[in-house]
Amino acid sequence: MKLQTRKSTFRLFALLPLFLMSLNVQAQSDYTGESPATRTYAITNATIVQAPGKVMEGATIVVSNGLITSVGKNVNAPANAEMIDGTDMYIYPGFIDGMSHTGTKQPEPMDRPNNLFSPDPPNDYAGITPENTVISQVQVDESSISNMRKAGFTISHSVPQGRMLPGSGAIIMLSDADHPDEMILKEESSMFTQFAGAPRAYPGNTLGIMAKFRNLYKNAELAKQHAEMYEDNPAGLPRPNRDRVLEAFYPVVSNERPIFYDAPTALEARRAMRLKNELGFTLTIGNLEQGWDLIDDLKASGTNVFMSIDIPTEPKDSKDEDKSDEVKALEERRMEFYNKNLGQYAAMAEAGVKFGISSMGTNANKVMGNMRTIIEHGLSENDALAALTINSAQLLGIADVAGTLEGGKLGNMIVSNGPLFDEKTQIKYVFVDGDKYSYEIKEKKAADEGGSNDVADVVGEWSYSYQGPQGEASGKIIVRDEGGTLEATLTNDSGQPDVELKNVSYASSMLSFDYDFDAGGQSINIVFEGTVNGTDLEGLLDVTAFNVTIPLTAMKTSSPE
Amino acid sequence: MLIAFLLVFTVSVNAQTKKGDVLIKNGTVLTITDGTMENTDVLVRNGKIDRIGKNLKAPNGVEVVDATGKFVMPGIIDAHSHIAGTSINEGTSQVTAEVSMEDVVNPTDVSIYRALAGGVTSIHLMHGSANVIGGQNETMKLRYGTTDPDDLRFEGAPRTIKFALGENPTRGGRSRGIQPQTRMGVEAMLRNSFSDALEYKKKWDAYNADRSKRKVAPDYSLRMETLVDILEGEILVHCHSYRADEIYMLMRVFDDFGIEKLTFQHANEAYKVAPELAAFGASASVFSDWWAYKLEVYYSTAYNAAILTKNGVNTSINSDSGELIRHLYHEAAKTQKYGNLSDNEALALITLNPAKQLGVDNRVGSIEKGKDADIAIFENHPLSVYAVPQMTFVDGVKYFDITDPVTDKRLYINPESNIEDVVLYETEDHHLCMKDAEMVDFYELFNNK
Repeated sequence: MKLQTRKSTFRLFALLPLFLMSLNVQAQSDYTGESPATRTYAITNATIVQAPGKVMEGATIVVSNGLITSVGKNVNAPANAEMIDGTDMYIYPGFIDGMSHTGTKQPEPMDRPNNLFSPDPPNDYAGITPENTVISQVQVDESSISNMRKAGFTISHSVPQGRMLPGSGAIIMLSDADHPDEMILKEESSMFTQFAGAPRAYPGNTLGIMAKFRNLYKNAELAKQHAEMYEDNPAGLPRPNRDRVLEAFYPVVSNERPIFYDAPTALEARRAMRLKNELGFTLTIGNLEQGWDLIDDLKASGTNVFMSIDIPTEPKDSKDEDKSDEVKALEERRMEFYNKNLGQYAAMAEAGVKFGISSMGTNANKVMGNMRTIIEHGLSENDALAALTINSAQLLGIADVAGTLEGGKLGNMIVSNGPLFDEKTQIKYVFVDGDKYSYEIKEKKAADEGGSNDVADVVGEWSYSYQGPQGEASGKIIVRDEGGTLEATLTNDSGQPDVELKNVSYASSMLSFDYDFDAGGQSINIVFEGTVNGTDLEGLLDVTAFNVTIPLTAMKTSSPE
Repeated sequence: MLIAFLLVFTVSVNAQTKKGDVLIKNGTVLTITDGTMENTDVLVRNGKIDRIGKNLKAPNGVEVVDATGKFVMPGIIDAHSHIAGTSINEGTSQVTAEVSMEDVVNPTDVSIYRALAGGVTSIHLMHGSANVIGGQNETMKLRYGTTDPDDLRFEGAPRTIKFALGENPTRGGRSRGIQPQTRMGVEAMLRNSFSDALEYKKKWDAYNADRSKRKVAPDYSLRMETLVDILEGEILVHCHSYRADEIYMLMRVFDDFGIEKLTFQHANEAYKVAPELAAFGASASVFSDWWAYKLEVYYSTAYNAAILTKNGVNTSINSDSGELIRHLYHEAAKTQKYGNLSDNEALALITLNPAKQLGVDNRVGSIEKGKDADIAIFENHPLSVYAVPQMTFVDGVKYFDITDPVTDKRLYINPESNIEDVVLYETEDHHLCMKDAEMVDFYELFNNK
């Protein structure tokens, strides 16, 4: 998504010099003509949610040169502003992603060196490179940046991809930049770590990783002491051996930089807290999926947390009427854990745990739907908004510039055509760094407006094709109506096994489903969403794990009698 | 300061495991240390055995369990287990003394409940046998129902560590092209490791003795720290071994380095060096009758445990398996068929003797006043083929009762799992000993690659 061209014609010749000046900053010579005519915007007569629970109706917000300049009912738009009529529109603070790989490109895995000494591999192979920064992995044209922005995210705490200690994270603006440096709000904002062992080398798994972490930390403490003593007065002291890995730990040891641990499971989160309790660093657990038993431990240890937005699929009970009591009991327990999983967000909010949201491993276009499901399971809309905005800002230490809509803060906001968490609401604009990104509001055809929720539109066989990484792929999508529930199978012409699709749904002429794809032992989730128009289906396959979206088209070849 | 306070606070919170009160009435009490007592009551107060005697009265509010016609024995202790761990081997290096199984305890493994259903109250969760000096093990109490790994900790139990000799570590060495590739290499590696640890200790001792304020600390090594702790007798060594020659080798190495606390695990040929083991003071933890699963385990006998016992070697029988752990009482009974051990000797193999090997015999392993109330109640004598465990208590809290309704005992359930996928023996684990270890295939093994 490129910056939108201003549609209205220039009216303010008086401000031309100023305009030229700002153009100068934007680009030397904009031959594309895509630079906006002004970086001042005023949205009037809108419902503005400045912060969770703080709502103003019929209000105006002005954003100028990257910052919010004023919000309120009696605000006058500056003369140079592009005016946007906010009637029937809602404005929210832009979302802040607490931990993700947004914007990063997975580095080429290092080949196994010949004659590798597996007990003590090179740091690059072991995945111990905390001195690296995520900015070296960020690519401005990664589709994850525009995908997350489209979902309302304006800032991401992005962490590098890799193994045990891939490097430091940075807080970046999800803007359309020419160079990654332009996106940086705060560099080296965290040291990122995860339970990812080196392939057939030390540390190979959790056992080695826990020990290696303790060992590095202790040595960093000692090396730091030595370095400081030497700095103070080198006379008579051995010259410190410089070690970039240990040096990267110094700000962690002095509690100036938090550790961000990717610890989705309860056991992993407890291990991270165990290290924190032993060594005394500042800890944030990111991407937590199983937190329902950890509330007391998180509080007692003073650990911050970003909850995963990757929620499980609702279990489907068997429709077999003769199913045994045992199966019924097992289904009940499975549902109990589904509810525990979904209910943990509300439980945490109630217990006073201020959590943020991490999008790691989640498709951008699933975020809002998942948030709605979490709200259905008890989390208040205010707490949901807080988790996506102000809580994340506070936990990342950027609440002075982001997280709410207040004068002086960054011009990061979402403009939608309805209340944020309503199913029908769509995002019209996202502002990042005071720049406007526009999105097309799709006319969702309600049944009474001639549009369709009739599953008969999709039931039948579709023949699809798309351009995959290995060339063109084609096959059939077979959609069935199983007593009111849609089920579907994906076949392919290359002889691969058929895939049962999950979460098949059809509403407002939109067909969506997802499925898991086995990429050499790693399960990759792929999400499809597309529009049905008669016998045509057009949409996108979203492969978040690889940061790619692939257009898919299909034609209906048969319908049931 | 605040952190120190928090640390203390967390530890004390975690130490609050449940303690029970119960009066077990009128059973046949197999005490192990004080013979068999008929029609006897055992009173448990606050998790400890408070009184053993006849016609005891239950204090107010204390539950009474009628054990008339039943057998009451100390909870079974498995000195070699790999259940309830999410990783077993850090097999990438041949010395990994720094790693610890306490970091990978999985309290939600339903195998724990199955073990309780076999009368087991404590296990020794061991690192695998992929490397010469493997990781530290974790002695645990099976307090099933918690999701906090720390609640399973056998608080106060001494630290233990896994060593391994023979084919497993040499296979690992050959597959990576690193030492050790032979039994000779194993011994050299042990001696080198301990010599390095002594050098390490010297450096740190000198640093600590230096009164200068401007001194620079040597490199820190958690691996060397652990080896030093072994040399100083703070960590009990449990060594995977099969052949008599390698068992004898390790005793010589330990003699040279002054290490005393040693238990041989598996030790299928220990019967050949039983007097030597007794003279060293080493223990053995063996299978009843399991062998021939690889070349070095062919020369074996079901009389192993009995021969060792008769030679004065402290011997236990272990499971090393999520299946055998459910009937260790049968495994112990086999020593009566093969070796004519007395009831008490046979039961000690799965109670007091493993407790000694883990250094927890002051707490568990027998029914004595003052010991932890880790107790199993059996229908029929536990060494009978008709034995059926009825109830299992840990710290006086009942964690298994055969009369409880059959329900799903899992503690964490994946909401996306298929019901059809639930199988009773999903973590059946005969081969966990080499789990996570990179193995060579047989072609490579016999081509000596």
